[in-house]
Amino acid sequence: MNSNLQPNFNYVLLSHHHIPNVQEIEVYEQAEGYSAFKKSLSLTPDFIKEEVKASGLRGRGGAGFPTGIKWGFFSKDREAKKYLLCNADESEPGTFKDRFLVEKNPHLLIEGMLISAWALGTQKGYIYIRGEFYHQAKILEKAITQAYQKGYLGKNILGKDFSFDLYVHRGAGAYICGEETGMISSLEGKKGQPKLKPPFPAIKGYRGYPTMVNNVESLAAVPWIISFGAARYRQWGTEKSPGTKLFSISGDVKKAGVIEVPLGTPLKNIIEDHCGGMREAPLKAVIPGGSSAPILTAEQAYKVKMDYEDVASYGSMLGSGAIIVLDQTRSIAEILKWTLEFYHHESCGQCTPCREGTGWMEKIAKRRPSVEKTSTPEEVMDLLNRVAQNMRGQTICALAAAAAMPTQGILKAFPEEMKAYFGNLKS
Amino acid sequence: MSDIKKEKKIVTFKWNDQEIQAEEGSNLLKAALDHGIEVAHYCYHPGLSVSGVCRMCMVEQIGDKAPPRPYPSCNATVSEGIHVRNDTPKVTSAVQSTLEFHLVNHPLDCTICDQAGECKLQEYYMEHGAYDSSMVDKKVHKEKVQDIGRNVMLDAERCILCSRCVRFTAEITKTHELGILNRGDHAEITAIEPLKNDYAANVVDICPVGALTSKDFRFNQRVWFLEDLETTCLGCVTGCSVKISQNHNGAFRVRPREDQEVNGYWMCDEGREIYKHLSSLGRLQFPLKNNSGLFIPTESEQFLSTLPRPMAIILSTHLTVEEYEAIFHLIPEDQVYFYRLPEEGPEFDSLLKRSDKNANRLGLEKSYYKAYNNVLNWTTKDCSLAGAKEKLNSVKSCFIVVPEFLPHFIKAKNNFENFLHSLPKECLKIALAYDDLFQGINHCDYLLPVPTFAEKDGTFFNFKEQARTLKKGIVYSQQAQSVPDYLALITKTTNNSKGFSHAAQ
Repeated sequence: MNSNLQPNFNYVLLSHHHIPNVQEIEVYEQAEGYSAFKKSLSLTPDFIKEEVKASGLRGRGGAGFPTGIKWGFFSKDREAKKYLLCNADESEPGTFKDRFLVEKNPHLLIEGMLISAWALGTQKGYIYIRGEFYHQAKILEKAITQAYQKGYLGKNILGKDFSFDLYVHRGAGAYICGEETGMISSLEGKKGQPKLKPPFPAIKGYRGYPTMVNNVESLAAVPWIISFGAARYRQWGTEKSPGTKLFSISGDVKKAGVIEVPLGTPLKNIIEDHCGGMREAPLKAVIPGGSSAPILTAEQAYKVKMDYEDVASYGSMLGSGAIIVLDQTRSIAEILKWTLEFYHHESCGQCTPCREGTGWMEKIAKRRPSVEKTSTPEEVMDLLNRVAQNMRGQTICALAAAAAMPTQGILKAFPEEMKAYFGNLKS
Repeated sequence: MSDIKKEKKIVTFKWNDQEIQAEEGSNLLKAALDHGIEVAHYCYHPGLSVSGVCRMCMVEQIGDKAPPRPYPSCNATVSEGIHVRNDTPKVTSAVQSTLEFHLVNHPLDCTICDQAGECKLQEYYMEHGAYDSSMVDKKVHKEKVQDIGRNVMLDAERCILCSRCVRFTAEITKTHELGILNRGDHAEITAIEPLKNDYAANVVDICPVGALTSKDFRFNQRVWFLEDLETTCLGCVTGCSVKISQNHNGAFRVRPREDQEVNGYWMCDEGREIYKHLSSLGRLQFPLKNNSGLFIPTESEQFLSTLPRPMAIILSTHLTVEEYEAIFHLIPEDQVYFYRLPEEGPEFDSLLKRSDKNANRLGLEKSYYKAYNNVLNWTTKDCSLAGAKEKLNSVKSCFIVVPEFLPHFIKAKNNFENFLHSLPKECLKIALAYDDLFQGINHCDYLLPVPTFAEKDGTFFNFKEQARTLKKGIVYSQQAQSVPDYLALITKTTNNSKGFSHAAQ
């Protein structure tokens, strides 16, 4: 058999991506697809939950909360009505890993959801996919149809006392619908606004029933963990950040794209080895985890290792693993303005600090010379920093923090450049 | 059912330095507010669901198991032994900065805003803000004068998006007229359709700022010139607790008072009209005599002593229990009649409003039974019915107590005029009235001023036989005398304890 048609299990998530037409269920099955699911049906749900917990898999949507522990909060009553929700909204600017995963290998996600549904005892699942991902939604729908035909979905799956229905729901293009309770509101047909917690979705979620929300990448890692065990999963990564992670790299590198590397891989390696180095000008800064992650200077970027703890030690976060590489030709002030424009546009408007703060920060960042009252650059920067600080930790969801953190990060990492920018406004 | 119901467990928790006892699992913010602690809040309302968006009622929990961050107390529950503080540096600075965010795009047009004086933005600014504004940037502007139906005007710019009004139309009236359109600082309250529910004016009361104002009240009086008279609505048999804002220039508005026994936090729009006759231009200031259609002042004592007999009195259903008792004491049963207002609308609209507009019907029946030891038989005593009308044919002079709130009841207006018209022409008709604006006035020979429900103390019984209290506020008709007082006058002038009756001979 052609080795090209064999999965490469040195990868957890991209194990099948090199196989042509793997989005077709026959091809995927030939390449050992759905074998992890078949295996899981012979295992007890508790065993699977323990295995995922032992693997140390952390939520790949951005927050990095351990998936196994999140599953532990979920209702244990297998008969009760419950939902499994896959977060494929992928709205964090700079992130495109889930799209790549779903587009090439939709069955891996379906298999991951099936194993999770079996473990959690959920009877229905939804894949909430970003509205712009029209083709990916089509691919998923086709894959789901195939899975129904093969008996992987539906009633009494593979003759077992286990039924699971899966649907694809396309979002309508709101950043905040990537937040799990915002997503639930949207799925319920309401305005996509996050819900007050508690109660958490694991207790009271979609339509008031317990709902488990997991990211595409988290769910897609489950089949591998079941096939090869938690211990082998831990061969990669660090003690606290085990396993591999997809990184979506964009910006001024020679080869941008999605890679899967073990957590803890130095960012320098990623830029120089995987991405072929910088395109023209030398490195200026890196946004390591999507637009809400505070910016790293070139010096920090060459030292940081890409795992949750090490990135956090530089005052930033791993987030969704969206690495945005910026070279010396880029203006940091422009980055700040675009970032704030984005969050101003995307604030849902429920909580006052976020609703008013995102707009105000954008206005401060775009102040024109005619605004004279706080005219010195230091005063403008102090005000911006203060407004950002006041927004943090005061709202229902993390959007306010997502706008405040990069703002404060830029002011801290590039004070001279920002001073010059605000200084120029004065003249 | 009772054994399933969980017993209420009272626990003790600590808010700042004060120990509070409250039911376990009840709302933390409400428990504090109920114990007189002032906590800044905009979006929380005890009659509505929790939205937790204004972020003003933040508390910090003290102790080992405390959450790491401050949280809004409106979304927390009371549990044994917890200790929360809202006076820590973390919380006070958070409240101040959140207030600053509330005001970033607020137009600060207090000078032309009707809410000024009872505005939570003003109050909390003095208490928690008092900073110098750093906002020199251009504010977001929204449409200011929007007629959103019924009695409500919307100024979207002043709105702080607490969503109370949206929740009110969604949860209380279930009519869903209001929603929040758009996102971020462009979000604004929008009437998807004009307000159509009978409780619309409640959104004006619950609006903590000047975004929703009453068309009826706006620009009529500054609120600091007003005093509230705490009384009861006599608009129907429900008997909601209300307060009337008034001063010596007149009465200006009616708002509900919290009363969990009867009306909760709300009242109907119809009830908000009951203040209008109190200080209207038509209020009777002295007795009037009908001189071929022109009413001229007269002395009541003179004509009351020379009334032709036999006499009868037709009472309204809006007098107090005390008045009925005094009247029945003075007048024999066979000379007492009543005029009942016709029913209007559905029997009960499932919220508060009832079709029976005879507010003190039960109190009247009770007093009647007490005085005459006889159950009131409406078929022979209700003058709008044929049986009673016949008996009135032989009466030579007749006192008619004009029902209060008559102008508010569409059906009653014509009905009452027809009734006056149906009385014998030769019978002398003396109307005991609040004003000279009722229909059918030309059928009356004399008008005597009486006090309104807000100018006398008294009791009435609502549909549930709950005793409701009326309080005496500012008097707008100095010469007005109560119905029993006029009747006592006849007794005095005829020098007979049952003068009303015996004078007829």
